[in-house]
Amino acid sequence: MRRVQSSDACGRVWVFGDYRNYFKNRVTLQLIARAKDLAGKLDTGVTVLLLGERVHQWAMEYVAHGADTVVVVDLPALKDYRAETYSGIMSQLVELYRPEIILGGATRFGRELFPRLAKRLDTGLSSDCVDLEIDPSDRGLVQITPAFGGELLAEIVCPNRRPQMATVHPGTFKELPHDASAVGCILYPELEIIPDERVEKIRSRPERDRETRLEDAPLVIVGGRGMGSKDQFETLFELADLLGAEVGATLPAIQAGWAAPDRLIGQTGRIVKPKLLISIGTSGALQYTAGIRGAETIIAINRDPKASIFRMADLGIVGDGRTIVGLLLEELRKRF
Amino acid sequence: MNIVVCIKQVPESPKLKMDRDRMTVIREGADSVINPLDCVALVAGVELRNQLGGEITVLSMGPPQTAGALREALAYGADRAILLSDPVFAGADTLATSHVLAAAISRLDVFPDLVLCGTHTIDSDTAHVGPQVAEELDLPQVCAVNEIFPEEDGLVVKRVEDGVLETLRVRLPALLTVSKELCAPGSLSLGGLSRAFSFGEVTCWDHRDLGLEPGEVGFEGSATWVVKLSSPPPRSKGEIVQGTSAVLCETLIRKLESLGILDEESAE
Repeated sequence: MRRVQSSDACGRVWVFGDYRNYFKNRVTLQLIARAKDLAGKLDTGVTVLLLGERVHQWAMEYVAHGADTVVVVDLPALKDYRAETYSGIMSQLVELYRPEIILGGATRFGRELFPRLAKRLDTGLSSDCVDLEIDPSDRGLVQITPAFGGELLAEIVCPNRRPQMATVHPGTFKELPHDASAVGCILYPELEIIPDERVEKIRSRPERDRETRLEDAPLVIVGGRGMGSKDQFETLFELADLLGAEVGATLPAIQAGWAAPDRLIGQTGRIVKPKLLISIGTSGALQYTAGIRGAETIIAINRDPKASIFRMADLGIVGDGRTIVGLLLEELRKRF
Repeated sequence: MNIVVCIKQVPESPKLKMDRDRMTVIREGADSVINPLDCVALVAGVELRNQLGGEITVLSMGPPQTAGALREALAYGADRAILLSDPVFAGADTLATSHVLAAAISRLDVFPDLVLCGTHTIDSDTAHVGPQVAEELDLPQVCAVNEIFPEEDGLVVKRVEDGVLETLRVRLPALLTVSKELCAPGSLSLGGLSRAFSFGEVTCWDHRDLGLEPGEVGFEGSATWVVKLSSPPPRSKGEIVQGTSAVLCETLIRKLESLGILDEESAE
């Protein structure tokens, strides 16, 4: 094992290595890919921080996906992700190696850890970025993030403090292919670790909740006020079963009691990024469209040709969603 | 149990006016409500207080009109409301906002056992302020809690963290941010309303009351600046089709086939 205390040993663009649910949660790999672009512009390298218990195996994965350095802190006390303990360790590492930039996934844990760490380091943080760039004039990180319900994009900078910190929504960047021949440096710094035991786990179990299903779903059908009644809204569930889709709803449909509140799509609900989203009887209020901007293809069905949802639809169908869904169900029942 | 609830007044509509020089939102004059998740925090706090005794202090940083939100919080059952308002607080990012809130909490006569916040606000949606207040006050934090059970010397809470349902024991004092599943804000009783407007006194503290320098709060004390606002690139304008329902359904099926969602209809 190597002890390296020199700040030059370590690339200055950092990524928080979240290995939980590795095969589905690829946000760390996506961030490494973007960090590599940024590091290239700053003439430095990419360092991944890997904290946990028995996590060495992931270090090689991160190198294979583009990390120049992986800093490993491997201890039983780090088995559970805890913002208090993790921010304590990360702030020590920051002091030791002085990064310019720290990136993390905008997962639940990322959104819990990064604000706490930014506060401890007395520096700036932007959340849920959709893009990251280097400003060539001052080599600062430009953090691009949706503002005001997705109506605008804000460019945020952190000119006077370091490190510059940002979280990024999973799926924003593309990971680099696995390169088994890649070579990287693995560091095991010696730190004084005081686990924070004020929050103690009693039990945990995996919860495949709707949030995860909706957010992972490749095909989402969303119903709005135009569905007219609970019975008509129910036909969307039948359609979803036939197509292998998940059902979401806009605020008016939820307020009418046609769907459970956990199906709310939009700024205050779930943000979805399916390959295809079919939006039926939805006018296209900002609150709602903020949650669907990331969809690859959008098909909208609405009776009103002026509905604002048509401005973002790849295919806009001017007609009564209830009738069209009815006809489509008839056709699909014949096929399956 | 003495509880502090941090609330924010947010615009009711997502359409906002901007201060183009500072790239911040103009909050004066907009129709405003208490941020919905902060209402959930408030209701959860009132339930705990009713069960265990103690007092609830509600804090909010904002322009003078924020007093309205604090009076509403008194109507929900809070015992005391403090408005943190000062022109030098304007234009704050989350680092500077959490600094003011933490300073106010540490100046209370009795340090609270529990600080509650909404997980995030509907207008800026950063979810930073709760954890940042916890860090500055050196409190343990649990975010996005959806159930709270009091115990003898702490709390047991549940939350879903990245696909795992966790049950945690938290030592007090602590800070929790609450998610929307916790409870639905009830409607206000007439008694609560009259209490808010007849007895509802909102105390106001400025940067001097908090012992803070103007340079460490507001725009000056912020680490991040918004340098540019722009409209997101429009999605490419799609095709709009009209016609009879049968024709439209046919168009939809062809589209689903071309996307590979449906297999192309073979002759039966």
